[in-house]
Amino acid sequence: MKLVRYHNSPLFNPSANYPSLRDEMDRLFDVAFPALSTLQREGFFGELQGQFPIDLYQEKDAVVVRAELPGFRKEDLAVEVADGVLTITGHQKAETKADDAKKTSATTQERRVSRAISLPEHLSLDKIQATYENGVLTVKLPKTEEVKPKQIAIEVK
Amino acid sequence: MNLLTKNETKAPVTRTVTPRYDVRETGDAYVITALVPGVDRSSLETTVDGETLTVTGRRTFTVPEGWTAVHREIAQSDYQLVLDLDRRFNRDGIKAELSQGVLTLTLPKAEAVKPRKIEILG
Repeated sequence: MKLVRYHNSPLFNPSANYPSLRDEMDRLFDVAFPALSTLQREGFFGELQGQFPIDLYQEKDAVVVRAELPGFRKEDLAVEVADGVLTITGHQKAETKADDAKKTSATTQERRVSRAISLPEHLSLDKIQATYENGVLTVKLPKTEEVKPKQIAIEVK
Repeated sequence: MNLLTKNETKAPVTRTVTPRYDVRETGDAYVITALVPGVDRSSLETTVDGETLTVTGRRTFTVPEGWTAVHREIAQSDYQLVLDLDRRFNRDGIKAELSQGVLTLTLPKAEAVKPRKIEILG
């Protein structure tokens, strides 16, 4: 048996460059009924587990991933690339001490979110840049030379 | 309970979404936490007008030229949260803090509603 990586990433599929009908409908509903789209998202903060929204962009010489991850500390976020898959993980543990005066007990709030994205070939994985600003993580993956569009001069004789 | 209720009628009809938010009570204040990823300090506005507290946050990101969106999940709408305040708050002491897409508003309780210890005489 052979294991073949499942290429579900829109980065692989050229036809995915055009937003799907579903995406278009989602966006239409987001605009028409904004309250609904907030409801649809998972619960608040503490219950926010698993998924978070991402955007993928193609640039001339890079692929860019933006991820909405509000309220993390920089050190609680991890960006990893292994075997052609980019994994973004956020893990945060908030502990409060028991306070007898306020009659509160000690609590531990943990949140763990993670997402994996299949990457196309021809990215220079050692030059990945990640920045975290205003609760948005931006990962820039530069393309290797061979996939950058090259201009070939045509000689006129 | 009518404090800090979401005011649906006063919210203007624009392309904004109500951010996910949460209200906690501490000994001397109410603390509102709202998730507003993509908003920086300069594009966030908190105003108190009469009995209405309005928080507006605009997303600062615009797709740079030369970038092609391949896949989009992040909502592009701006945020607006409109809450009704009542007399239980000390309006002058409202504090706002924004850190990595999380807005924390601290609304101190008015003196009149803080728990008071009444001494028994005699």
